[in-house]
Amino acid sequence: MNFKGTLPTLILEALRHEPTHGYRIAQQIKERSRGVLDFKEGTLYPALHKLENEGLVSSYAGVENGRPRRYYRITESGRKALNKDRAQWREVSRAVTVILGEA
Amino acid sequence: MTGLEAWLRQATRQLSKDSVAQVRAEIREHYEASREAAASSGATVDEADRTAVAALGDARTANCQYRNVLLTAAEARILRESNWEVQAICSRPWLNRLLVVLCVATLWAGAALLLAGSVTAARLLLAGGIGFGFLFVAPLLPIYTLSRSRVYRGLKLAIMTAMVVLAFGPNALKWFWLLVSCLWPLFWVEWTRASIRRKLPAAQWPRQLYL
Repeated sequence: MNFKGTLPTLILEALRHEPTHGYRIAQQIKERSRGVLDFKEGTLYPALHKLENEGLVSSYAGVENGRPRRYYRITESGRKALNKDRAQWREVSRAVTVILGEA
Repeated sequence: MTGLEAWLRQATRQLSKDSVAQVRAEIREHYEASREAAASSGATVDEADRTAVAALGDARTANCQYRNVLLTAAEARILRESNWEVQAICSRPWLNRLLVVLCVATLWAGAALLLAGSVTAARLLLAGGIGFGFLFVAPLLPIYTLSRSRVYRGLKLAIMTAMVVLAFGPNALKWFWLLVSCLWPLFWVEWTRASIRRKLPAAQWPRQLYL
């Protein structure tokens, strides 16, 4: 399913509880959407860099199973942006549901 | 060439050396994890490779997105080579004083010519004095914060435009083609700097990005 424009929000949501690396972020999004939101993983990192440039996430080098990994963590401004996006999404989703007559 | 290598080549086209290294490291890391997951679910080595590369998607799309968020080779070159204002002014105090004296002398000569009735020559000298004075004196002022640098850049644009109008008078539009053809490298550098500002967090800005 095409979910253009919502990937940054989904990334922030995936990072809400704990810092993690890119591969796990991609898996989390796919698993939590039960496979509906299937995106190309090569587009995940440009989105992560954009969030980092905007100060919404920060990154650090870590190790998992002896292999170096870049971990990403949400910042305070990232949490604020996520809350704002969530509120906006609920509003949009409610409006679309009403229009489509499925409320 | 492996599937991953071909993907990386395409995805890193026109990126700077540092950006290429960064993309290669993160995509390799991702690819290895993806391949391991496919292998552990029973895929053969070849199948796991193919699945991991396919999961990355279209390399051209990724390249387009990377170029929007990471420095390209051209931007990295501009960043390296376009700090002449700062280098020329801040690293040589004698040159700095000389430039200030020259600007003041030019302005003074312009004013004198204007009073003497030689309007065309006076206009050219005044335009030069104002423009170069602004260009050379401003980097010495405390403008190296986000908001002040924004004000400085706005003023710079306004003063440059005023300088052109002052120098060419009513013929400014007529000579526009000449100005554009002579000054396009300047416009290009300014445009590229604006693009770099979007890509680099403010904490990593070198001094020339504030100008």
